[in-house]
Amino acid sequence: MIRKLITAILTTCFVTAASAQDYDAGKIAGNLQEKASYIVRMDDTRFEVKGPGNAVQTTKYVVTVLNKNGDHAAAFTEFYDRSSSIYNLKATLYDAWGKKTKEYKSSDFIDQSAISSYSLYEDYRVKHLAASNQSYPYTFEYSFSKSFDGLLNYPSWNPLADFGFAVERSSYELIVPEGFRVKMLKSNNLQTDSTLKDHKMHYRWTASNLAAYEDEPFSTGLNQLTPWVQVSPNKFVYDRSEGKLGNWNDLGKWIFDLSSGGDKLSPEKAKLVHELTKDCVTPAQKVAVLYNHLQQSTRYVSVQLGIGGFRPIAAEKVSQVSYGDCKALSNYMKAMLQEVGISSQLVVIGAGMPSLKKDFASFNQANHMILSVPMGKDTTWLECTSQRTPGGYVSQSIANRTVLLVTEKGGVLARTPALTPQKNYQRRQAEVVLHEDGNADIMINTTFGAAQYEGNMEMLSSEPSEQRKYLIESYSTISPEIISYALRQPDRTKAEMQEELKVKASKILTSGGDKAFLTLNLLNRRESVPASVENRKTPFALPFGFQDDDELTFTLPKGYKVEFLPKPVSHESEFGKYEINMSEKEGKIIYRRRLLINDRTFGPDRYNALVDFYKKIYQADKVKAVLAKIS
Amino acid sequence: MHLKFILALLPLAIASAVGFAQSQTTPKTFKFGKVDPAEFNVRAAGADSAAAAIKIFDIGNGYFEINSLTGGFAFVYERHFRYKINNKNAYDLANFEISLFRGSGTSKETVDNLEAATYNLENGKVVAVKMAKDARFTENVDRFRSIKKYTLPNVKEGSIIEYKLRIKSDYIFTLRDWSFQGSYPTLYSEYSISIPEYFRYKVNPTGFFPIQVVKNESVNASYYISGAGSVGTTALFTKYVVENAPAVKDESFITALSDYTAKIEFELLSTNFPGEFYRDYTGNWGKIIADLYADESFGGYAKKSGFTRSIVTELIKNDTADKDRIRHIFNYVQKNMKWNGSHQMYSSFTNVKSAMEKKTGNSADINLALLALLSEAKIEASPVLLSTRPNGAHPGYPMLSKFDNIVIEAVAGKETYLLDATGPENYPGMIGAVSLNHTGLRVGSSAGWISLEASSPARKTYMYNLTLGTDNKLSGTLFHYNSGHSGVSRRTGYRKAANEADFLKSFKSEKPGLNILKYKVDALDNLHETLIETMDITIDEQVEEAGNLVYFNPLLFERTKENPFKLEERKFPVDFAYPSEEVYKIMVSYPVGYKIEKTPKSEIFKLKDNSAAFTFIFNEQDNQILITSKIAINKSLFSPEEYHDLKELFKNIVSKQAEQIVFKKI
Repeated sequence: MIRKLITAILTTCFVTAASAQDYDAGKIAGNLQEKASYIVRMDDTRFEVKGPGNAVQTTKYVVTVLNKNGDHAAAFTEFYDRSSSIYNLKATLYDAWGKKTKEYKSSDFIDQSAISSYSLYEDYRVKHLAASNQSYPYTFEYSFSKSFDGLLNYPSWNPLADFGFAVERSSYELIVPEGFRVKMLKSNNLQTDSTLKDHKMHYRWTASNLAAYEDEPFSTGLNQLTPWVQVSPNKFVYDRSEGKLGNWNDLGKWIFDLSSGGDKLSPEKAKLVHELTKDCVTPAQKVAVLYNHLQQSTRYVSVQLGIGGFRPIAAEKVSQVSYGDCKALSNYMKAMLQEVGISSQLVVIGAGMPSLKKDFASFNQANHMILSVPMGKDTTWLECTSQRTPGGYVSQSIANRTVLLVTEKGGVLARTPALTPQKNYQRRQAEVVLHEDGNADIMINTTFGAAQYEGNMEMLSSEPSEQRKYLIESYSTISPEIISYALRQPDRTKAEMQEELKVKASKILTSGGDKAFLTLNLLNRRESVPASVENRKTPFALPFGFQDDDELTFTLPKGYKVEFLPKPVSHESEFGKYEINMSEKEGKIIYRRRLLINDRTFGPDRYNALVDFYKKIYQADKVKAVLAKIS
Repeated sequence: MHLKFILALLPLAIASAVGFAQSQTTPKTFKFGKVDPAEFNVRAAGADSAAAAIKIFDIGNGYFEINSLTGGFAFVYERHFRYKINNKNAYDLANFEISLFRGSGTSKETVDNLEAATYNLENGKVVAVKMAKDARFTENVDRFRSIKKYTLPNVKEGSIIEYKLRIKSDYIFTLRDWSFQGSYPTLYSEYSISIPEYFRYKVNPTGFFPIQVVKNESVNASYYISGAGSVGTTALFTKYVVENAPAVKDESFITALSDYTAKIEFELLSTNFPGEFYRDYTGNWGKIIADLYADESFGGYAKKSGFTRSIVTELIKNDTADKDRIRHIFNYVQKNMKWNGSHQMYSSFTNVKSAMEKKTGNSADINLALLALLSEAKIEASPVLLSTRPNGAHPGYPMLSKFDNIVIEAVAGKETYLLDATGPENYPGMIGAVSLNHTGLRVGSSAGWISLEASSPARKTYMYNLTLGTDNKLSGTLFHYNSGHSGVSRRTGYRKAANEADFLKSFKSEKPGLNILKYKVDALDNLHETLIETMDITIDEQVEEAGNLVYFNPLLFERTKENPFKLEERKFPVDFAYPSEEVYKIMVSYPVGYKIEKTPKSEIFKLKDNSAAFTFIFNEQDNQILITSKIAINKSLFSPEEYHDLKELFKNIVSKQAEQIVFKKI
């Protein structure tokens, strides 16, 4: 009954909107067409909250596609699950002059399951339609309604979230019952139009004539340049569970309550845990032993259904089947630690996502759970879904960000430690014995730390054929013929990998007449330089800081001497530091290179300086020594 | 040692090794839940000795029964397999999926009787844990497909896992395949199938590892029909066995990995029910072709109509030659139908009119529309069925389900053209590279296999005409010519870019130091002609100085930097899809006062039958050097035996093209 009523109201308001609309592509303002492959003509969303667990969304979207690159925008994609449903779905295609050419039928829409790649099972589904037209421009329009019975997140509004398109007009209207509180986070200078009508509060945000931005490399996005708003309720109902969400403490409390009681072990398991740790003296040893036990005996299997997306499976159950998702495994680890008197907290975290926003609690900022074990002054962070991560190693995707500790007093914000460039090291020493025919015998010893270890960690347990392939590809600059190799992790609890490699390589020297050329940086060259950008608009980030140290010792072919050795080079900037130097000693050339890159965000005006820095490295990495035959 | 163990565990292995003589030996049964502690010691040999898992056995049994609901025959597929998990890389095996089809109506596929368990060796004892009820899921993917998903408990390094299941299917045209090989080594795989005398199936074995037939005999069978009771008849019972099969791994330049995996596929050939006429489904090509033409999604769709007549009349009203007619009709379909990315051999529409009104469709919608228009114009044209490269090679005998795409062959006088209007850059004679799977089946009045090899190589020529300045900068012109498949991909790149500036930006991105002052493109829309690009350029950063020496790599940006063939050994053929030719001509005038100190030597490298060659020629004259580098791959397919030579050739290319030219300032 309610749904029928809503439909009736909506239809009336859409009819007025539609009749006023002219979809003639020729009438799009010229400035909007610059750098754009499509133009959003209209994007109106109205979200009416009926109560903490109920809402109805209506959206109408019209896009004019100017060229092939914009085809992807002429599509409808909307996800739903068992707490939401999509109805009143309509889609229409118009030609360049705004004449209707096709009305899509409900059978044209595809309805598919939408389980994430990391999950075994979820109840997510998607409705999808991709429009298509042979000639440009064309216009695609769709509208739909969506009702929610159980509600965690409210739609946010970000009309120009990406590069390469423009927006003619866009609006978002949030309607809540009078007195119903919501939190808002919005871009600078964005006006909120609020009115109280019939005991309902209407908040409205609009934007028009937003011109397109051209794609920029390493960009951190447009959110400092374009309007946006995020809203989140102060209370919610989801899968029949009620919760407060005024702040992070509330969210932490809700999750704590969901997980409470699930941290008991069976008597046999408790006995095993004591047995395993009986020789441990310090809490740190106990943590190490039990974490190792977790890694050896469990595996990651993700099933997310409704509230099951937030409530960890009970530890006893995990212990029975030896698998679980991030929540289940973290909670299981917590239960084992608790059994030996060590307290720990579940941690809500956005893996690969930005930090939690301190003053704006909402559900869509996190996607993962780990475990935090306070150890005196320090904290040990345990990633419980990996069977390989060294205990306490904070990987790149969870390092250096604000996270939420789930405690019995509610949520408490904390920060995970950072991986500094110095921790992400690659240290290499190579002995290169050159022969007169230009070939060489090379011994390479490399150690990879932290994030650089992470990148190669998988290889440690791969089959030999895969390892060989990986080594050949890693050293493609010398097309090596592998004589022997070893990959090892000397200490399972430390994020460090060692690689030993003995190879033969051909044409390391390019020679002619009585001269031979030797590119000194044989193994670790910067091979390209990004193009400079005139009048850059967006900030950029170097997401990954690291330090590479290379030391190569070249033994010259018999009968050759050094005729020319390039001069040392050193460049330092806010982006990092680059240094090379070469020396000659007892018929050998020693080449040293250090490259340190800082992970930071920089203003748009610094970009060409970065290009310049890379260019200097590119050039310095090519320097060659000239050898000459001793006559 | 290992061998002994395997033989002890699998007595059938002996039986099959000696073939039919011992076929009466009762095979040892593989009983669910019965795991011997010794089984935890299984090992794989050779290159697979470090495999993350080993398939201990995989036993399949296929047979028919009457589905009491539909009254029709259903195919029952039983499978029972066991893996030893050696390390964590194979944990994925503990999650198992079965994809099921469901159409409209009552026909469907179901799984019943699925049992699964994990076994661990604890203190010398085998401890079993069965899969729980809540570890079973059904994903309803869309209207046609669902996936059953299962996950096993207590999986650790060293566990043995076991699954036993039964799938019933009302779809009996193609039967579920049996793969004897997979991404892990297989110690023993056996598939038995009983086919009632009413049916005949074609069997298609694939791969490089031998599959043994250990039994092939007629046996008594009975089928229970509700209302009629049991009906006694005979069935053909066949048993296939593969032992100690290595893991199959992906390599570069192959079509589909499934082509290289030992497996068998089944497609219905004919039915012969008592009291009914013999019915041939796909027994011979004649029958297949007749059926195709009668099929409403093929022949029915491609029929001439008032709609096709009105289009064609207008299109070819000024043409006298068939060649022009073909071209005009091809252009028309290409311009008016947009390919939706799907390769199909059946149309998704009932007639050409509705497809052309929607302006978009799959490859059959587009190319069969082309066929209809060509027939309307009285051009001799036939559809050509083919299996695309990702779909794998076609076995070559009547097996309809192995095709997945269609192109058209049209004849104009003495000329024959292959037509494929799905690609906006294709032209008569040029079909999509994904369809270049060597052969296709022409279905029409003169049916037969035809070659799909590209008629001309993908040809790419760069001509640099440059002057070297004393400031170490190069300036001059660059001519860039592309034809054949190179022309198609270059045009595609050009048109994919939002504008010319973007296209040039990506062109420059791989060429540090290149500046383009002026750019011109010719023959962009004359698809069958060579695409010509002319640029005025300057190049920084390529010429270097060391003391009084000035040197650079004369191939500039165009050298092959890496050998595409990295593996020491290769088991599969190298499939390039089409022959190709890459030519670089670089002319550089250098300043007076420079003397050439070192020059690359001219050299020629060739494969035995000239199937591939690399030529490098250096000339100098009047303060000018001229270098020509040419890589010619003269055929599309190389055998594993030719791999080593091909690898050597590319090794020479990489090192030769890396050579420097050195000037001395005097």
